[in-house]
Amino acid sequence: MKRFLTAAVSAVAIAALAACSGASAGGTPSTPAGVNPTGEIKPRAISWLLSRPADGAVVKIMQQLASEYAQSHPGFQLNLITTPDRPSYIQKYETLAAANKLPELFDTDATPFAQKLASQGRMVDAAALLKSIGLYDEFRPGALNYQRFDDGSLYMIPFEYQPEFFWYNKALFSKAGVSVPTSLDQLPAICAKLKAAGVTPIALDGQDQWPLERYIAYQPFRLAGPDYIKGLKKADNLLSDSTGKAAVQWVSDLGSNGCFASDFSSTGYADAQALFTSGHAAIYNIGTWELSSLATTNLSPTVRNDIDFFTLPTVANSVTAANEYVTSSGIGMAVNAATYDPLVRDFLKYALDHFFTLAAQGGALVPVTGVTTAVPANATPLYQKALDAANEVGTKLAMPWDTQLDPTSNTRLQQELVLLAQGNTTTDEFIATMDSTIKQNAPKFFG
Amino acid sequence: MLPSRSRLSVLVFLLPPLLIYGIAVLLPILQSLFLSFFSWDGTTSPTFVGTANYVRLLVGDDIFWQAFTNTLIYVAISLVIQIGGALLVANLLFTLTRGHAVVKTLYLLPAVISTVAIAFLFQRIYSVQPEGLLNQLLHGVGLGQLQQPWLSNVRTVLAAVSIPEGWRFTGLYMLILHAALLAVPTELEEAARLDGASRWRVFTAIRFPYIRPVWITTLIMAVTYDLRGFDIPYLLTNGGPGQSSELLTTYMYKTAFTSTDYGYASSISVFIVVECLVAVALIFLLLRRRDQS
Repeated sequence: MKRFLTAAVSAVAIAALAACSGASAGGTPSTPAGVNPTGEIKPRAISWLLSRPADGAVVKIMQQLASEYAQSHPGFQLNLITTPDRPSYIQKYETLAAANKLPELFDTDATPFAQKLASQGRMVDAAALLKSIGLYDEFRPGALNYQRFDDGSLYMIPFEYQPEFFWYNKALFSKAGVSVPTSLDQLPAICAKLKAAGVTPIALDGQDQWPLERYIAYQPFRLAGPDYIKGLKKADNLLSDSTGKAAVQWVSDLGSNGCFASDFSSTGYADAQALFTSGHAAIYNIGTWELSSLATTNLSPTVRNDIDFFTLPTVANSVTAANEYVTSSGIGMAVNAATYDPLVRDFLKYALDHFFTLAAQGGALVPVTGVTTAVPANATPLYQKALDAANEVGTKLAMPWDTQLDPTSNTRLQQELVLLAQGNTTTDEFIATMDSTIKQNAPKFFG
Repeated sequence: MLPSRSRLSVLVFLLPPLLIYGIAVLLPILQSLFLSFFSWDGTTSPTFVGTANYVRLLVGDDIFWQAFTNTLIYVAISLVIQIGGALLVANLLFTLTRGHAVVKTLYLLPAVISTVAIAFLFQRIYSVQPEGLLNQLLHGVGLGQLQQPWLSNVRTVLAAVSIPEGWRFTGLYMLILHAALLAVPTELEEAARLDGASRWRVFTAIRFPYIRPVWITTLIMAVTYDLRGFDIPYLLTNGGPGQSSELLTTYMYKTAFTSTDYGYASSISVFIVVECLVAVALIFLLLRRRDQS
């Protein structure tokens, strides 16, 4: 019965969406004047469709701020509709967008789909909005750049600042007789030694697919810089060129040297983390959103003193610096242009004026400057080390490819990467498949 | 021939459900059929593309054909477990002198457990690290060399996602077939046994022909259910690794809600409807030919 419902609901959804589509929102609040709607603030319930942990800092602080705002604006209410599982969230958000049913606020990365919505005037210009409330210059440039589309426009507001590190277990490195890689090219050989020592070299959440996709992005970022993916997604660059070949060969080498567990493709987020925090895996590539798990006393005492991190190694002739790597400002919050009114603006101003101070007091890295993150009482020295590294991140950003490619090419890339890392496909087959997939699908999103 | 008053009563009772069926089932199918002639990304206006989606489906999409092949294998494995297993257990129940209800309830239990729980359960059963039940069993009986990542190996993953589907509904079909077997006249079986018929002969010559109409209904139910199988493969592997466990349903879902290619997804959904109808027609055709022969 459930499958029948799934099939029926899918069919109804597809068909119903067609009926609902077409009408795009009117006037785009893209100018400073447009982001300052005139009129009375009429309190009502507004909603934020978001993809963040229900017990995470963003949700908790926004609930607190909404409650405070409601005291001075009786009748106001903020409904937080969260779907932390990202693939499920994206499906929900894209379906609502297709049906013109997006709420006042919604989360999105700077994806090609989001760019389409922005180009149709369905999102408020975040740069203009932030300038109008006097916060634009407070943001770290890198945090805003992460949210920008290729043309430099900004339609999402960041709430986080999350450099991604390679966390590693010093004891396991020592047991295998290896040291921290100074070049990406050393990683496959290090994996081979770790594996020979009976250790899982890299804990990888293959089920969510984006963690493996990070690895294909690393070599191109070092060899050709952040512009490589901008060309690749439009089929202007090809994986069959020298940079692409190096990237594909490197991922293949990681797989053939046993870097990942044999069942990595069906390993989930929590299991991958447990593999590392239980001392069974030597390396874990994850962002600072896991600081409370990796750099506080929450971490098991058996491994607590053995954990350290290194940043993305460079390569010979690297065009990006050692302090430039994936530093995400998290999924951004977009403002629906169709429902934007004095109330939404006023609440956003109130929330943004207070949010970052509260978040920093709670130990979170924030995307604005001038606010110092408090180190929790139960933190290990690694916490402060991570905060210091975050403050020294360079200007070039390694963008995650899953936010850049068109959705069909991205899905295919994620599928083919697993086969490549498992040795089920050759590098040539992988390159041919991906180049033709991108060539076929990119024009639908990038003209 | 019913008197006119009775006919009116029949119409009064039949029309509302027929109307609901038309709105809930036929209308979406027709809407999907309509949308399958368009290219639509959900944000811009749909563009009429004629039969381009069907041409792409039939000659230009390697994933579609792999998903179709996978679906057939998935259905075959699930059917063997569901119908074969159900028939076997339904017959074996007659050898039990007590505890029928307990055994039936235990077999039926998986059909009422949530799909998510089943997927999670089998993820643990197939796991390598920490070692899951299956790999532990293999190790325990000295077949350690057969241990493997069942959900990551491209050669085993399709069977690995089909087995939970088969296991889940075996109890349900067993219940239906067992009820049918209970209706078989015992005097016929006793007479055959007195004439020296073996158990197998009693089954093939008396029991099975007697429950054949129920068996056909069960078979059609199972085939159409399995052709639309979605949740367990989606939750266990999301169609991976690569496209090794991709089914037409999971592919349609991704095409619609990840790639936002609603027109093409509609053409896949129309194919699934046609595929189900063809499967049912084939079952009837094969059985009718067998009857005639």
